[in-house]
Amino acid sequence: MKNKISKFIGLMTVLIAGTITAGRGAESESSREYQIKAAFLYNFIKFVDWPEEKTTDSNEPTIIGIIGKDPFGDAFEPVKDKPVKDRKIVINRFKGLEELKESPEKHPQIEAIRKCHLLFICRSEKQKFKETIDLVKDRSVLTVADSEGFLESGGIINFTMEEKKVCFEINVTAAKRAKLEIRSQLLKLAKRIVEEKPSSEEKN
Amino acid sequence: MRIRAYNLIVLVLLLSGLCGQSFAEQRHENQLEDFFNMSLEELMEVPVVVSTSRQVQRFGEPSGPVSIITAEDIHYSGLTSIPEILQFTPGVDVLKISRQRYAIGIRGLHETISDRTILLVNGRAADNTAYGGPDFQGLPVPIEDIEKIEIVRSPGSASWGANSLTGVINIITKKPKDVLGVMGKTTISEFGDSYTHLRWAATEGKWSWRASTAYQEIEDSANAVDGPATYKSLEPSLNDLIGFDNFEARDFSRNQRFDTEIFYDVSKATQISLGLGQTHIDSGDFEIGAYYPMKNMREDHVRSFARVDHKFEDGGSGYLQWFGKYWNANWPQVSMFSTLQNEIEGQLDFASSEIHQRTIGASFRWDHINTSRETPQQIRLSGEPLDEYNAGLFLIDRWFATKRLILEDQIRGDWYSGTQTDWSGRLSALYGLDENRDHVVRLSAAKAFRTPLSVIRKSNTNTVPMGFGMYVINVTAPGDLDNEETFALEAGYTGKLTEKLTLRTNAYYQQFNKMVGYRYSTNLLGQTFAVADNIDGADAWGVETELVLHGKAGKLSTWYAFNDFQPDRGNQDMRAFLPAKHKVGVTGRLFLPDGFALNANYAFVDTTPGNPDTRNHAGSSNRLDLAVSKDLAKGKGQILVGISDLLTKTHDPVMESIQLTGHKVPGLTFFISLMLKF
Repeated sequence: MKNKISKFIGLMTVLIAGTITAGRGAESESSREYQIKAAFLYNFIKFVDWPEEKTTDSNEPTIIGIIGKDPFGDAFEPVKDKPVKDRKIVINRFKGLEELKESPEKHPQIEAIRKCHLLFICRSEKQKFKETIDLVKDRSVLTVADSEGFLESGGIINFTMEEKKVCFEINVTAAKRAKLEIRSQLLKLAKRIVEEKPSSEEKN
Repeated sequence: MRIRAYNLIVLVLLLSGLCGQSFAEQRHENQLEDFFNMSLEELMEVPVVVSTSRQVQRFGEPSGPVSIITAEDIHYSGLTSIPEILQFTPGVDVLKISRQRYAIGIRGLHETISDRTILLVNGRAADNTAYGGPDFQGLPVPIEDIEKIEIVRSPGSASWGANSLTGVINIITKKPKDVLGVMGKTTISEFGDSYTHLRWAATEGKWSWRASTAYQEIEDSANAVDGPATYKSLEPSLNDLIGFDNFEARDFSRNQRFDTEIFYDVSKATQISLGLGQTHIDSGDFEIGAYYPMKNMREDHVRSFARVDHKFEDGGSGYLQWFGKYWNANWPQVSMFSTLQNEIEGQLDFASSEIHQRTIGASFRWDHINTSRETPQQIRLSGEPLDEYNAGLFLIDRWFATKRLILEDQIRGDWYSGTQTDWSGRLSALYGLDENRDHVVRLSAAKAFRTPLSVIRKSNTNTVPMGFGMYVINVTAPGDLDNEETFALEAGYTGKLTEKLTLRTNAYYQQFNKMVGYRYSTNLLGQTFAVADNIDGADAWGVETELVLHGKAGKLSTWYAFNDFQPDRGNQDMRAFLPAKHKVGVTGRLFLPDGFALNANYAFVDTTPGNPDTRNHAGSSNRLDLAVSKDLAKGKGQILVGISDLLTKTHDPVMESIQLTGHKVPGLTFFISLMLKF
């Protein structure tokens, strides 16, 4: 009995040590969930139409912005060679809104955010959803996040998880406000479609 | 120098931690590329299998041979009991002992109280606490609440704990969001059997719930066959002593079930779930050890759990769970039982990288067992009430060694207060023959154990009275018993031959050691004394092959299983039937226009060897079930008409190793069911 217990403890020690040792190499690589979400963002671009004023120059790339603590890592590596609608894809990363406000480059950064076609707002910015969405109001930016309450804050597409699979929901009113046309192929795959009730201002 | 198995495992695990980084980058790049080549629909439907290793796995990646019975398979069969459905699965041995009692085991070793196959519900233990064995009748899970049943045909102890010498059956129930609304279903058979199920599932904000109640009545064989259900005795010389001429089939059952699960989404990352299930059974008793009181049995089961699931920001996840199981029963021919099981379990899935997918977990269990008796023939346990404890710790690591090669190691240690500390493990290599991993070959080695349960270690009983205070059969509690153990080698292939055609094939060799059976001795007065002991071992080998064609129009699957089992000694008691050597099955389902569907299930089972007494052999059988259904009211209703066991009007008696008598059981049965949804 004592022999078996000591062997068991020895084996557990080796395993735990092996786990810690081997795990170090994994920190620089993105998780599977965000690899899949990166592919979703790439696909969203195919099924959303921006107004003419946002896409006048056909040589300009389609810009995906990521604001906040970036969970994607190197998940966007393959898009370098995968244009969509004959436009290259460029990924721009921005600091969180709080940091941005204190940055000396605040104004150019904010302008760069407004130039994005798609803006992914990370979970670290959850408390600033409304403020961030207001920042890009009237600039036809497709806002995307993966946090509870994003659509209710005026965001357009929100990722959810069901049975360990990535899904998404869409706020069609917010899309209309941003003058974005979401094609039916994307709408029919959404797990939930949200239509905001008109505010009293809009009613009047 | 002899290299012990555990030394080898330690060496491989060390190497897995230190090496393998050099291939990771290439695999990572290819993985990312794959996702960007997928359509939205494909991204939303990444195929997963709840695992042989407690980790979510993709097609072709389970580390052991797995068959899955889906909700659709269950629904369109029209069957109302899980054992009936399991018999159409490759490698699963099912014997119908009576209308409500089955012997079930993966690759044999099956009896009503067979303890070498683990039964789980959503990963939680569903075996009987006192004597082990899958307790399907006592499960508070109505059949239409089952999302799928996963059958793992190989030692699974490393992931799921002890007992799983031959495999794991994991029943997964539907979530409320999958079955919103009200559903009512009733099934009636020509014998007057009935099964009625009512369910309500709803969501409200962050809450969702599912509540079901079901009532099942099974008529006994005496009322269900032409004339009396003929009894058979293995020892006619004892007939007068045991009152055989008065024996009659009393295999009726009245089973009431209630089950509810409630989910609360605290946040996007955290979910709390609670569950409560209850079953009450009134049924006829049956003969054990020639003792047959012919009084009703009663059982009450309560299952409950509370669980917290959390997703971490780095992509990892974990859960913490309490699970409780209470059983109170009066089996006049065995004992009056009261058992309480409490278990706390936690599991942590580390954030997946492209190199490793790791899981660590631990559990602690407390079993409280008590018996009482009204007659001297009933069992008492030495030293009761018994309080026994078990603690377990496990680690699972999937190493994506190269673009095509995955290595998985599982290791588990268990401490038992009543028996011995032991370990189990599995080492698997999965190699993709193509880049998409549509064709995967698998090699595995595993070690598992089975700790003897309290009823085997502690029971004293005397069954048939001879007069003068003596008994024909006397069971005595043994001394210390060692754990049973098994070592297994497996090789398998899983492949998508076409987009709709899948082939799974598996070959295995298993060596069993220290198998617990009963040693019998008889004195000059004709008294038999039985005591449990680690008698000897056995060898088992076989092949299981399954071909599945799946499309929108329906499904066609065919399978063949060859399972051989040789005890080391000719008359060695294994406490169970041995596997039927040859088993064949075909399942077909066709969806027709106007809401019609046809379903057919066929299974051939070779002779099932009895053990140790060859007189317990169960003859070969052919079973064919047919069902036709029609949707009503635009899918809100459905009517189904079926015939089960079309090829056999009446089954011959089947006697387990613990029985001297058995009776005929009806086969062919017409039934009709009606389902409505709101």
